Amino acid sequence: MDWNCCWTKEQIEPGECPNIREGEDALRSLLARRIVEKCFYCDRFREDLRLVAQGEQPLMRLVPFLIEGLRDQKSQIAAMAGSLDSRNQEISFLHELAEVLQTTMNLDEVLSVAMTAITAGKGFGMNRAFLLLTDKCQHNLGIGPRNLQEAWQTWEEIAHHNYSLTEMASQFFTTKLRTEKAKFHDILTRLGALLFEEGHILHRVLRDHRPLMVDERTRAGEGDNGLSELLDVDSYLIMPLICRNRAVGVIVADNYVTHKTITRQDMESLETFGYTVAFAIERASLYDQLQEKIERLVDANEQLLEQQEQIVRMEKLALVGEITSSIAHSIRNPLMTIGGFARSLLRKKADDDPLREHLQSLVTAAQQLDDVLNEVLTSSDSLYPTRDQWDVNLLVYRVNDDLSERLAQRGIAIRLDLNQNLPMAYIDFRQITFCVKTIIINLLDSLPDGSEVTVSTRLISEGILLEASATPVPLGHTVSGLGLMVCRNLLEKQEIPFVTTTNDQEISFRITVPIERRE
Amino acid sequence: MARLLVIDDEANIRLLYAQELGDEGHEVVTAATVAEALQRLDELSFDLVILDIKLKSESGLDLLQQIVRERHNLPVILCSAFSCYKDDFSAWLADGYVVKSSNIEDLKVEIDKVLGKKSHRS
Repeated sequence: MDWNCCWTKEQIEPGECPNIREGEDALRSLLARRIVEKCFYCDRFREDLRLVAQGEQPLMRLVPFLIEGLRDQKSQIAAMAGSLDSRNQEISFLHELAEVLQTTMNLDEVLSVAMTAITAGKGFGMNRAFLLLTDKCQHNLGIGPRNLQEAWQTWEEIAHHNYSLTEMASQFFTTKLRTEKAKFHDILTRLGALLFEEGHILHRVLRDHRPLMVDERTRAGEGDNGLSELLDVDSYLIMPLICRNRAVGVIVADNYVTHKTITRQDMESLETFGYTVAFAIERASLYDQLQEKIERLVDANEQLLEQQEQIVRMEKLALVGEITSSIAHSIRNPLMTIGGFARSLLRKKADDDPLREHLQSLVTAAQQLDDVLNEVLTSSDSLYPTRDQWDVNLLVYRVNDDLSERLAQRGIAIRLDLNQNLPMAYIDFRQITFCVKTIIINLLDSLPDGSEVTVSTRLISEGILLEASATPVPLGHTVSGLGLMVCRNLLEKQEIPFVTTTNDQEISFRITVPIERRE
Repeated sequence: MARLLVIDDEANIRLLYAQELGDEGHEVVTAATVAEALQRLDELSFDLVILDIKLKSESGLDLLQQIVRERHNLPVILCSAFSCYKDDFSAWLADGYVVKSSNIEDLKVEIDKVLGKKSHRS
């Protein structure tokens, strides 16, 4: 019998089988493979089968059916392999996506990855997508081209660079996030509001936790609250983002440029993706909250430490206060008795009474103890100065008044050279008064009777300069003594400069008090 | 001159006041406790009260409030070993505040000032 096909030949010549293409030359000498891969699909072979079936052998009739069955099964296997391949790619992509999402805790970065994945050709390949969050609407995001030209430009750029998902997401986050947000500001604002509108299609998806594919048929039925007009597309997809049974947001995706039909398979793929994204969003939000709480705890801890230190300081101050208070009471009363009676007796004694000298010693000693006591008590007060706005000139007048009696006794005059246009100084009035008074007393004690002390105030760049000086320098004067030591200590604690100058011509004490409030 | 009521729990201080202020020509009546002071105030009329703040377990500031409430024309000078009560609002009810020292000239000056104001008012 003359056969149409080459299936009877072990070896065939080039061009003998029209189905063998370039690069498949090996099949010319491999009969079994050639029959399965080429002959089964060859019209000439089918013709030969018919001839075989017409033969007298009844079993030969079964051969075409068997071959047809084999062909069908082979087609099914090929289709399943294609589907498996597609699923493999999808799983591989989701795996890559999950890996990328796991590396970041930043919400905007998570959203950038998610949106890139939806719209990238290597991903789900949608043209455009909007992501709306239920809790943090300021992070709502849109991505996609506004027109075909922009779409081609983007796609060409991606194809040219052959970016991976990570690279695309990273580029989007660093360079395009803000512009895309601004680009879709209006539509995002409207979508964001509709998300919470009772009965709206977006709200329904959020409430029911089920994705929805909207096309012409859906719109003809239930309607879509005009969302297709807002998006300017015929069909789109709404995907809820569910994490731990809580809707954290929705994704609205469409093919705004290509108008490619969205399939059920697209929706199913996106559903798996939605869970991954929702989990990443929730995790990033929780991380944000955690960070905020940690910051608050750190702040609270710092405040607690400060307060603890303050309590310890206050306890010390209270202790000092108690001690000084006790000293004041225990010493001043007997001191008043001693000094008071000594003065009283001294006044009543005749000038030539030999006891006068002893009484005078008692009076002087009591006065010295008084001064020491005042200095000690003022020193303890300096631990906790109470500053406020005060007129420095008023302070000088007050000191002058307080010392007037002592000055008169010595015939020493105080010349006041005060600037009348000074601003208020930020000082502890009592402490600075004590310092100025102590400085002047220190000068008085070593000046000869009839001398002059000058006290001046003037404004300088660092604050107000308060100066007490005497000319000429008193003989045997020493810039020391408990009083001045207390002053120096007290002013140092308040960071108030205190400068003493002594030369042949003059001795002066300068205090520069601050104008501005400082702690 | 004036009749003064000196209230202080320290006997030496009362004696000193009586002598020194007496020498100034004042009539000085003394009291050691709040009860004694109130009794003196009921018995006699005074021009001025000189009041210590710490009177053993009693408070001179409480007595000051009572005096101001019941005898608002009677001036009071607080004379204390403590300077810190100057910042206490209840001490501001007094007409003067003197910190005790070995020299009671400050107190004498304050007495003259308060009595001068009183005579000026009346």
